[in-house]
Amino acid sequence: MSEGRLSRRLARILSLLPYAIQNPGVTLDELAGRFDISKKELRADLDLVFMCGLPGYTPADLIEVDYEGDHVYIRAGDYFGTPLNLTPVEGLTLYAGASALTNLPELSQADALARALAKLGRALGISNEGSAIQVSVDSGSSEHLQLLQDAIADEKRVAIEYMSASRGELTERDVDPWSLIAALGHWYVVGLDHSSGEERMFRTDRMKSVVKLDEPAPLPTDFDPEKYRGAFIGSETGRRVVFEIAPPVADWFMDYYPVVSSQPAPGGWTRVELAIGGARWAATLLMKLGDQVRQVEPEEMRNAARELAQEIVERHREAAGTS
Amino acid sequence: MRRIERLLNLIIALLNTDRPYTAEEVRERIEGYGGEPNHEAFRRTFERDKEALRKMGIPIETVTTDVFSDVPDGYIIPKTKYYLPNLELEADELAALHLAAAAVLGSREPARTGLLKLSIGPDPSPSAGTRVLWSADVAAQQPLLAPLSAALMDRTPVSFRYKPATGPSGVREVEVYSLINRRGHWYVVGRDRNREALRSFKVARVEGEIGLLVGTYEIPADFRAEEKLPAQAWEVGPDEPSEAVLRFSQDLRWWAEQNLPAARSGDGPSGTLDVHLPVANLDALISWVLELGPQVEVVAPREARERLVEHLDAFLGSVAK
Repeated sequence: MSEGRLSRRLARILSLLPYAIQNPGVTLDELAGRFDISKKELRADLDLVFMCGLPGYTPADLIEVDYEGDHVYIRAGDYFGTPLNLTPVEGLTLYAGASALTNLPELSQADALARALAKLGRALGISNEGSAIQVSVDSGSSEHLQLLQDAIADEKRVAIEYMSASRGELTERDVDPWSLIAALGHWYVVGLDHSSGEERMFRTDRMKSVVKLDEPAPLPTDFDPEKYRGAFIGSETGRRVVFEIAPPVADWFMDYYPVVSSQPAPGGWTRVELAIGGARWAATLLMKLGDQVRQVEPEEMRNAARELAQEIVERHREAAGTS
Repeated sequence: MRRIERLLNLIIALLNTDRPYTAEEVRERIEGYGGEPNHEAFRRTFERDKEALRKMGIPIETVTTDVFSDVPDGYIIPKTKYYLPNLELEADELAALHLAAAAVLGSREPARTGLLKLSIGPDPSPSAGTRVLWSADVAAQQPLLAPLSAALMDRTPVSFRYKPATGPSGVREVEVYSLINRRGHWYVVGRDRNREALRSFKVARVEGEIGLLVGTYEIPADFRAEEKLPAQAWEVGPDEPSEAVLRFSQDLRWWAEQNLPAARSGDGPSGTLDVHLPVANLDALISWVLELGPQVEVVAPREARERLVEHLDAFLGSVAK
């Protein structure tokens, strides 16, 4: 058995035993369901436990496992009456998740969540006014978020006015909202965008207005929010842009952007190929690099970035306040 | 005997004792260790087992059993450290944690195993089979977060190699006061021991592993992490603090009204909105203005306008070649 599998199994047994001890007569089905294992695996765990106990290892020292039909009775010393403490990762994950949810306005469970956070924090030794581990998310308009939550819960379509990052203009769209996801410090709605017929992600702070419609917006049966993890850096369009970056930029660039490939270029520069979201997103990124970027391909991408830069520069070349 | 049984026996023995076991007692008394042919083989097995259990979060401590010696030679699992303290969670609090656990993307397994430990009582709240309305991609699986949060929970000072945004990388010795996820990035806020001051560090800029230092520390009661992190990148930096004025076009003023409600603002000419913001990092301000696009104009300070034009001229020159 691999080290990882062994520790997962041992960790499971250390949670399973206190549960079975505190709930005498629990059924095998409930135990298996609760710990997400097959009944066969559960029987194997219980057979193993049955062989263990205190030094001396007389029948009185060993853990007792009895079955009455489908019911399990486990007797052991007091030592397994309470589960093992949370590991730092378990504590961090639960605490960070709860902290992220506290950013939702008008959450009906907000009060219970705050109390749970306080208790969990005390147990973890991070009860520093709730600031010791904290996830903050800019919510934009709380009214929009509230409407979106309602629409998602009721499976209703919404009409939004949205400032598109890829095009830089306000658009009107009808969206079937599936879920709200906090990522990179913002809330996003993922769902079906009826204007393109595709699945899209929308940042809630870019919504000028949200109206809940009376159209049904059913959640796909195979919807899995996990699919969207790490997907917010720039929506994948299959489009690519290639350019060269100066040495100081190359140091950090790869850590921040979805670089598909890179190779050395003349003068210590690096030639990178980047997967891009919209054209506007890419143009903004290129502009930000200033004279640390050169040789942008394809031409239409280069022109889009130049036009955007020219438009901004024109506005600022005039004397302040005359625009 | 299989290894997992031996490990379970080791946990039971070291947990259910008031007196530490010496290595020799482990070998003689705990089932599974007696079979080793010689002391060397036993020692290797025992080391490997302790290591595996410690990795799982089982606190095997090494203590001195002989009052005349300083050599730690005894092993025990302190009950106070092993057992989950009773959180006395109400049913609705547990349900709220179920929501939170379901929300954390990429960390289902630790969230699930953590919840199982918390819902052990005789009257467990039914697990949340409800619709997941929200999720959070908080990068809780970032590998350095586990040692950093463990250090915070235990109040163990840490050292790590850090590459600041400007300047060379160097080693920092830090008392971790707080871990904060802001705008999608994790930060350590704590006391920098060498600088004897509060500092924040971006976890993504930590190079290599987290080292543990000897000793412990206390977090001052009046510490507030939020105050130590600049709210926005342009608020802290190398430039003389001043006030910036951004003019949002008529078409985009809704965005500023909606997302910058705390900023002082007033009507500008032709339906525009002028928003006043404190600024100390002009480059960060310019970077943000570029993201906002042509519908936003930097009215003040003058230097920011000039730098913006310079920056874009340099860009246009570089890509025209």
